[in-house]
Amino acid sequence: MLTQHKQLAQLQTRCQTPEEDMQSFRNFPAPSSSSGGVLWRMAHIVEENKLTLTHLAELEMIHAMENPNQGMWYTFQLLEPENDAQSVELTQFKQQFKCHLSELLRQMSVKIKKHTDEAVWIRIALGSSFSKPNHLKPTYVVHYLQTPYVFVRNLTSKLKPLLSQALTLATRHQGVKEANLSGRNLTSIRDLLMRQYQQVFPTKYRSPPEEEDQPVLNQHIEKEQGGVAAHRRHMAHQAFGDGMLPQLQSAVYMLDTKFRDPNNRTMTEREETFKCVVKFSSIDLLESLRSCASSGIASAPVTPLLSSIPLKGRNYFVVTDNTPGPSSQGHQTQN
Amino acid sequence: MRTPHNGAVVQRRSKTRSYRQSYRSCLGTASRLGLTPALTARRLNASRRAAKPQNDKVNPEHLALLVKAEWQLSYVTPLYQFRHTQLRSYSRQLAAFIVAEKQQGLAVEVSELHNSYRVSLSVVQGLTESEDDAETVLIQIHSKPMFARQDEPQRSVWSGWLTCVHGSPEYLRSLPKDFTCLPLFGSRGPEYLSRVVKSWFQKTFDCCFGSLEINHTSLQWFAALWTDCHSQSHIQHLRMLWTIPAAPPLQITYTVDHQDAWDLWNSVRKGPTAAVAEDAASIDLEEVTGFLQALKSHFYRHFRLDLSAGTLQQVSTAVGSAKSSGRIKMSNSRHVIATLTLLTECALLKMPI
Repeated sequence: MLTQHKQLAQLQTRCQTPEEDMQSFRNFPAPSSSSGGVLWRMAHIVEENKLTLTHLAELEMIHAMENPNQGMWYTFQLLEPENDAQSVELTQFKQQFKCHLSELLRQMSVKIKKHTDEAVWIRIALGSSFSKPNHLKPTYVVHYLQTPYVFVRNLTSKLKPLLSQALTLATRHQGVKEANLSGRNLTSIRDLLMRQYQQVFPTKYRSPPEEEDQPVLNQHIEKEQGGVAAHRRHMAHQAFGDGMLPQLQSAVYMLDTKFRDPNNRTMTEREETFKCVVKFSSIDLLESLRSCASSGIASAPVTPLLSSIPLKGRNYFVVTDNTPGPSSQGHQTQN
Repeated sequence: MRTPHNGAVVQRRSKTRSYRQSYRSCLGTASRLGLTPALTARRLNASRRAAKPQNDKVNPEHLALLVKAEWQLSYVTPLYQFRHTQLRSYSRQLAAFIVAEKQQGLAVEVSELHNSYRVSLSVVQGLTESEDDAETVLIQIHSKPMFARQDEPQRSVWSGWLTCVHGSPEYLRSLPKDFTCLPLFGSRGPEYLSRVVKSWFQKTFDCCFGSLEINHTSLQWFAALWTDCHSQSHIQHLRMLWTIPAAPPLQITYTVDHQDAWDLWNSVRKGPTAAVAEDAASIDLEEVTGFLQALKSHFYRHFRLDLSAGTLQQVSTAVGSAKSSGRIKMSNSRHVIATLTLLTECALLKMPI
């Protein structure tokens, strides 16, 4: 597929009109491999129906909106809303956003669509002074109006400051910062941030016994361990939630705390902190962590470092020794 | 170039003993009494010398070949009638064998079409530690694709080596005459060529190959040995990969800053620190486990998750990287000998005889 992408990119830079685009694409010899054949046939269909690159871009955007759980999404949070931030609605947002962004960039293609779930999808293809917009690597931005969250995929360093500015102005906020949450599933990170998943709230009293019929393998083990196991499961569900959890792939902790070990005097007396990076990864991170807590691999109660993931909706943390708190671990997470 | 000549020593022994000692029996007296060796005999050495940078007695070109790639490891049983002086003839035989296997349709890779192979076996002088070690043998297979131009040079498509670094002297001397012990085999390249090379060795020298996994204890040793190298070669970081048996499995990558790892390692050492006593310092298994335990306890303090519940899969630093699947990368030529010493020991332990 790479060679076809290259061909398409070459087309874009060389050709003038959309019709010429498609014509010269058709002039390439039909490739032998099956994927090349599909693209070639597609170009044939496109040409016959007089479709242009803009139509293709639109098709791609529809595809992206229907399949949001691809690529890597990064979250941003809008800060300090103005007084009228809550009343920003779609037409105003669209107009303001396009207006601000086109002030800053010449060669660019921006499409804004509203999805059925009230999300606003923005597709930005950037060009430069020398080339037309690169439709092969568009940036996607998803924003839910009246919330401070923005999700971005495939953001380039060139576009980042301009996008931040356009977004803050269009949504009537004063700034935007990284929200330290990333993942492949847009729906999952959105659910996590907006708390749209089944949560178990901490209760003083034990919840009613679970309906699941776990076969009791050994009566003696059940008698001894049953209560403890149920308690662990309850704590695990309290920390991470019930039922299906949003799918995250990883969580990164930058630890910069002092080494404290009663057995090791040298390190405990050391002035400098012990710097390390811990990365948890899994195909379904929250599910793995919940299972660790249930099975006892992670001691109950679950440490705030891990339960912060669903609680604060983030998966990137910088941990330092802040003010010595009442907790026995003596550290806090930093925003 | 020499094949260790055990002649005189073996002769004397054969008068008193009619059987060949197995490697395991060399490790403990208890094993000689029973049919099955005692469990305590089958352990890695509990203490080893700290890695010291080796002398420049190895050809830098050979070293460059060793350090640039990741190798897949196997253990090899002793080779019968292997002569270091016959390497040229072995090269020709192996090349012919590869071609023969291809014609039979056994060594075929669909995407690659090669018509001629040139094999070269050479000795890597100086990659040994003791007198009893056999010299390391390097195997390279060169070829060029079927439709390449005449003047295009052949490029290396596969390389491998057989080595024995600081093997147990008791075991090596107990081998009968005519057996050469090169227990560690590393290979890099297409799988079908590895298979062909192994099967040629098996046929020609009546030996046996087996996959060598790097077990948990050895990985801990690597973590300690490579951190210990920090005073001589900057390790950049100490990275460990653990897998936790959760549903679905959880992978934890624990990367420690180089200075902090070095300070922690020194705080765990008993006796004079490595900075003080140069090469006489030996490292005990206790220090190694203490080091790992300290790292795990720091982790536990934050996450209340015991890493012992999982398996250590990989250890890597700028000096090298080791995976439990039996893959090793030695990135720094100064510490190749230390790494190979530990791996030779693992290979000798894993051998069935």
